[in-house]
Amino acid sequence: MKTKVLILLFIALTASVFAIKEFSSQGQDDPWTPQQLLAPADLAKVLNNPKDPQPLIFSIGMEAVVKGSIDIGPAMRAENLNTLKQKLGKVPKNAQIVVYCGCCPFSRCPNIRPAMKLLKDMQFTNYKLLNLPQNVKVDWIDKGYPMSE
Amino acid sequence: MRILILFAALLLFRGAVSTLSAQTTGLEIGNKPPEIKLPTTRGDTVALSSLKGKLVLIDFWATWCSPCVEEQSDLAKLYRKYKQTAFINGNSFEIYGVSLDAKKPNWENFIVTNKINWIQVSDLKFWRSPVAKTYNIQGLPFNMLIDGKGIILAKNIHGNDLEKEINRFLRKQ
Repeated sequence: MKTKVLILLFIALTASVFAIKEFSSQGQDDPWTPQQLLAPADLAKVLNNPKDPQPLIFSIGMEAVVKGSIDIGPAMRAENLNTLKQKLGKVPKNAQIVVYCGCCPFSRCPNIRPAMKLLKDMQFTNYKLLNLPQNVKVDWIDKGYPMSE
Repeated sequence: MRILILFAALLLFRGAVSTLSAQTTGLEIGNKPPEIKLPTTRGDTVALSSLKGKLVLIDFWATWCSPCVEEQSDLAKLYRKYKQTAFINGNSFEIYGVSLDAKKPNWENFIVTNKINWIQVSDLKFWRSPVAKTYNIQGLPFNMLIDGKGIILAKNIHGNDLEKEINRFLRKQ
């Protein structure tokens, strides 16, 4: 009986560790810090308040779902990353910048890492990754946050 | 005796409940899933309800979703193997692929390159697709197996489990 309980406990623990890994917002080698993750609720608040200074928002995934965002296309593709680089060329280094994809869980997203690395390499000082750990539907659309037309 | 009557009553009640739930539109096993009416790459609309009589796998996917893309070759094998097969709850097997792609060329090229020969529909609205909302899709891939009457038999089953489930309904010769 005791062994059974122990085995069950072990399975539960392992499962939860995997679950945390899958949905954790930051892996070990990710090119962002926890402080660089922007909560969707915070961005929604800014977007709903036009008097607030508005950040430059880049969609670096499949579609610019978030209101006011500029559609770059998947950053996994060199030509799109290049477009982003060109657009950022004229932007002051301390500008407020937000990037997002939201196709898939962070652990599987092929676009956020190249984009965040580019921002780092270009020495921007105030850039964030919109925290959409599951996807843009669950973490943005379903919450009723502002969307593009 | 009393126990027997109680048991019979319980059985009847269960039967009534399952008949009722069969008529309910919903997303649970035993429900009728919501109707989907979306265009193919050529622009003609195919309704899910038009597949009545067949065992149908509704496959929600996208070319930008890597596990979905990996699964397409498995689906091709299943389709080849079971397309013309008779089931106890369907006279053949069909796949109704619903893509959450955003750009038509990506979707179309994938279908052509991989010679996908089952039904493929999409409104090309990515995660904004109304279908993602009606089916309460939380992530991709996602699928549903429905019988000839249009009743949900299983949800989100992949790989061997999916084939085992399809096998369960084979009509014995």
